[in-house]
Amino acid sequence: MQTWTKLLIIAAVATVLIIAGSYVYFQSLIRTRLLISTTTSLYETGLLNATKQAFEAKYPINLAFIAVGTGQAIQQAQGGSVDALLVHSPSQEAQFLIGGDGVCRKIIAYNFFTIVGPASDPAHINGSSVTTALQKIVDYGRNHTTSRIWVSRGDGSGTHTKEKSLWAKANFNYTRISAESWYASAGQGMSQTLNMANEFDAYTLSDTGTYWKLSKDGTVSLVVFITETKDLLNVYSVMAVNQTKHPSVNFTNAVTFIKYLISDEGQQLIDNYGKDTYGRSLFHSTVQLLKENSTLQIVQWIKDYAFIKEGNESYECPPQYRDSRYPELYP
Amino acid sequence: MPTTIQRQSLSRAISVGLRSSMNMLDGLIAALQLSFSVDPRIIEITLRSLFVSGSAALIAALWGIPIATIIAMKDFHGKFLIKTIFNSLIGIPTVALGFLLFLAFSRENGPLGFLRLLYTPTAVIIGEAILITPIIVSLATTAIEAVDPEIANLAKTLGASESQASFAVLKEALEGIFLAGIASFNRAIGELGIAQFVGGFIYGQTELLTTGIWVELQLGNPRTSIALMIILLTMVFTINLALNAIQRMRGREWKPLLNSET
Amino acid sequence: MEAIVELRNLTKTFAKKTVLDSVNLQILDGEILALLGPNGSGKTTLLKILASILRPTNGEIHFCGVKVTDQNIEKTRMGSTLVFQKTVLFSTTVYDNIAYGLRIRRATKNEIDYKVAQILQLVRLEGFEKRPARKLSGGEQQRVALARALALNTRLLLLDEPTANLDPKNAAIIEEAIATTNRELKTTIVMATHNMFQAKSLSHRIALMEDGRITEVGTSTEIFGKLSKTLASFAAVENTFAGTAKLSEDGSTLIDVGNGVQIVAVTKNVGEVSVFISPEDIILSKSRFESSARNVLRGRIVEILDLGSVVRLKVDVGKPFTVQITRRSFNEMELNLNAEVFLAFKASSVQII
Repeated sequence: MQTWTKLLIIAAVATVLIIAGSYVYFQSLIRTRLLISTTTSLYETGLLNATKQAFEAKYPINLAFIAVGTGQAIQQAQGGSVDALLVHSPSQEAQFLIGGDGVCRKIIAYNFFTIVGPASDPAHINGSSVTTALQKIVDYGRNHTTSRIWVSRGDGSGTHTKEKSLWAKANFNYTRISAESWYASAGQGMSQTLNMANEFDAYTLSDTGTYWKLSKDGTVSLVVFITETKDLLNVYSVMAVNQTKHPSVNFTNAVTFIKYLISDEGQQLIDNYGKDTYGRSLFHSTVQLLKENSTLQIVQWIKDYAFIKEGNESYECPPQYRDSRYPELYP
Repeated sequence: MPTTIQRQSLSRAISVGLRSSMNMLDGLIAALQLSFSVDPRIIEITLRSLFVSGSAALIAALWGIPIATIIAMKDFHGKFLIKTIFNSLIGIPTVALGFLLFLAFSRENGPLGFLRLLYTPTAVIIGEAILITPIIVSLATTAIEAVDPEIANLAKTLGASESQASFAVLKEALEGIFLAGIASFNRAIGELGIAQFVGGFIYGQTELLTTGIWVELQLGNPRTSIALMIILLTMVFTINLALNAIQRMRGREWKPLLNSET
Repeated sequence: MEAIVELRNLTKTFAKKTVLDSVNLQILDGEILALLGPNGSGKTTLLKILASILRPTNGEIHFCGVKVTDQNIEKTRMGSTLVFQKTVLFSTTVYDNIAYGLRIRRATKNEIDYKVAQILQLVRLEGFEKRPARKLSGGEQQRVALARALALNTRLLLLDEPTANLDPKNAAIIEEAIATTNRELKTTIVMATHNMFQAKSLSHRIALMEDGRITEVGTSTEIFGKLSKTLASFAAVENTFAGTAKLSEDGSTLIDVGNGVQIVAVTKNVGEVSVFISPEDIILSKSRFESSARNVLRGRIVEILDLGSVVRLKVDVGKPFTVQITRRSFNEMELNLNAEVFLAFKASSVQII
C-alpha cells in the first residue's frame, strides 16, 4: 500500500498546485476587484460595460458586475458577498439602508419605462394617461377574451414590481387580473417578453434600453405609446455595502466607484450612452439636476418617487446612512 | 364555412409562423457565423471553459484513479457500501452542490469565505472536480475490475512487487480509465449549476459556455446564446462520436455517456 | 542432489476449507518433479505457494536454506516463475509479454531483444515478436506463456498442467521445451499434471497428491512399479486400470481389470499390472462394427465434457473410460447421456505401466 499512499500524496500536492496556480493567475484580479451586484435590465443595456472601460482606464481597480434579478441582487448585498449595489427600486433600497446593510446612497441616473404596443392600437390607448390606458386595456381584454392583449414580465424583477404598482394605482386587484385570459405572463427576461408581445400584438411595460435595441434591430415592430410621465419614472441609484456590518467588503474602492459615477465624467458618460447607436440617450444624469435643486418638473418627480422619507424631510440618503469620512459625497 | 375572423386568424397564424421561422433561420445562420468567427469574446469563453473543466477533470483523475485502484483491488470491510456511495454521488444535482459551495465560499459567513474564492474560476474548478470525482471513481473501478484477476498474480510470478503488479493491472484497464476521464470531462464542461452559483458570469473573468448560454439569453442576445450552444454541443457530440467509434473499432458497445440534468 | 526448496508442515485454508494439509516435501536441485493428482487435490495451490504469490496459513517454506517471510517474499519471487493452467497474457505484443519480467529485472534493450528472439526459437515461434499476443491460437498462446517464463531463467520453474487441452502438436513442442530447459540449463521444474503418461515420460520424481495431502513420493519407476493399485484408484487419472495379466494362446496378453472388463494388450506381461489407454486412441461408435481393433467394449455415456474443439466423454463399460472425439463428430453422431456406445482400440494402444 505504500506506493498508493505516495500516489495520494502526489495527488494532494498536485491538486493544491493546480488550484493555487489558477488562483494566483486570477489573483491580481481578485485583489483589486470590486464586486457590484446589479439588475439584468441595467446590465443588458451595455451601460455598465462602457462605465467599466472608462473607469478601469483611470483606476487600477477591476470592476466585476454580477447581474441577477433585483431581489437577488439586494440579497447578495445583504449577505456581504458584494461590495456595492446598483439597482432601480427605491422602496427596496430604503429597506436596504434601514436594515443597516448599506450606506452612501447616490442617485445617478433616470429614464422612463414605456408602455409599448401594436401600431394598430386596438385598445386605443394613444394619448391616455397610464391609469386610463390600463383601464382601456382591461376593458378590451374582457371584451375580447380569446386574444391576449397584455404581456407581463411575470418574473419578480424590478420591471415587474413597477408594473404591479401601476396596476395597484389604477385600482386593480393584481391577483385577479393576472389570472384573466387576456393577461399573459412571460416569466422571462425583457427581450423574451417583448418578443412575446410582438407575437401576440399585445401591450407591455418595457424599459427603454431593451425596447430600443430590439426595435432598432427590427426584431419587434411595437411602438411607444406612453412614456416620460411621472408614473413611469425609473430611477437608478448606487449604494456601498456597509463596512461596519460587513467587515469583509472592499469599502474604499466602492466609494471610489461611487465618486466616479457622480463625477462630471461619469455623469457625462451616462448622458451620452446610446446616442451613437440608437440616436437617442438611454439614460439621463441626475447629479447636476439635484444639486441645482431647480424647479423643473422632473426634479420634483424624482424627489417624490426616489427620495427616502426621514421624519419630516426626504433625502437622497438620510444623514444617518452617510459615512462621515466622505462628506464630499453630499455637498 | 370559416368566418372572416377565423380566416383572418388563420392567415395571421400562418404569417406569424412563417415570420418566426424566417427569424429563426436568420438567427441560426447568424449564430453559426458568430460561432465560427474569430470573435475574441467567444474564443475567450470557450478557452476558459476548456481550462476550467480540463483542470477539474485532471484533479478528479489524480484522486479518482488511485482511489478506484484501491477499491477495485483490495478487499475490506464496507467495500460494497463505499462503492454504492460513489455510484449514487454520480447523480448529485449540480444546483444542490453549487448552492452548497456558494454558501461555503461566501465571503462573510462561509467557512471557506476567507479564501475569497467566490466568483472566481478557481471556485468552479473546485466545484466541478468534486462533482465529477464520483464519476471517474465509479467508471475506473469498473474498468479495473473488468481486468482478468489473474493479471496481478501473473505479474508477480514474473517478479513484480505488489505495486508493480497493481500498475500492470492498471495498464490493462487503461482504455476504460481513459474513457472514464473523458466522460468526467464531458460532465464538467456541460454542467450549469456550479458555474452559475460560484462562478457568476462576470465579464472577462468567469464567463463560461454553459452560464453564457443562459445569461446571454436573459440579456436578449439569442444569437450569442445559440453560438455558444453550438460550440458546446459540437464539442460534446464530437467527443461522444469519437469515443463510440473507438469502442466500435475495438468491438465493444459503449454505454451512452452520462449527461443527466445540468 | 540437494534440496533447493523445503516445505514443512504446510497448510493452507480458504475460508473453512482446507486445501493443503500438512504437506512435507523436498524439491531437489535440477530435477523435474511431477505433482500427480486429480482436480481439487491442491496441486495449483501448492504451485502458487511455491511461486511465492500465496502465503501458507501454517508451516514453513525454505528456499535455498532461507526461510520465506513476509519481508523477503518479493525477493524470493525473483527466483521462481509459474505458468498458469489457463493462459494469461498481457494485452500487448508477444515481445512485450516476454519482456515484462526482463524489464523488472532491469535488462537492457539489447539484452531483451536477444533473449526474446532466442526464447521464441525454443518454442518454435520465431518472428512472432510484434504479433498481438491475445490474437494467437490457443496452442501458440500457451507457448508464449511458457517462453515468457523460460526467458527469465529462474532457478525454479513451476508449470500447472502445461499441456492440458492442447492438441498433440503443440503439446509436443512444449514438452520438448521443458525437457531441453531442464537438460541444458539445469532448471529445477515442478509440474502439476493429471496425465500419468506425461508424468512418467518427463519427470524424475513423482509426488502423488490427494485431498491436499501428498500420499507418495518417489521416482517414476518406484511409483508405477510397486504401487500400481494406489495409482489406479485415482478416478480422474484417466483410463488407468489395475488388473491381473496372463498370456493367451495367440501370444497377446489378456488383462482382467474387474467388472467383467477384459483388455487385450500386445506387450507381454504376467501378474499384477496397471494398464493405461490414451483417450485419443479410443474409437467411439454407435454400433458394433468389424475392425482390426482387438478391444471392443460396450457401455453407456455417463458424462460429457465440452472443451470447445474436442469433447471428452466418460463411458461406463463396467469400468469408466475417458474418450476424446472432435466436436464435429459429437454433433454428427448426435450423442447424449445414457446413449449406448461401443469403444474400440487396438491391442497395441494398451500401455502397461
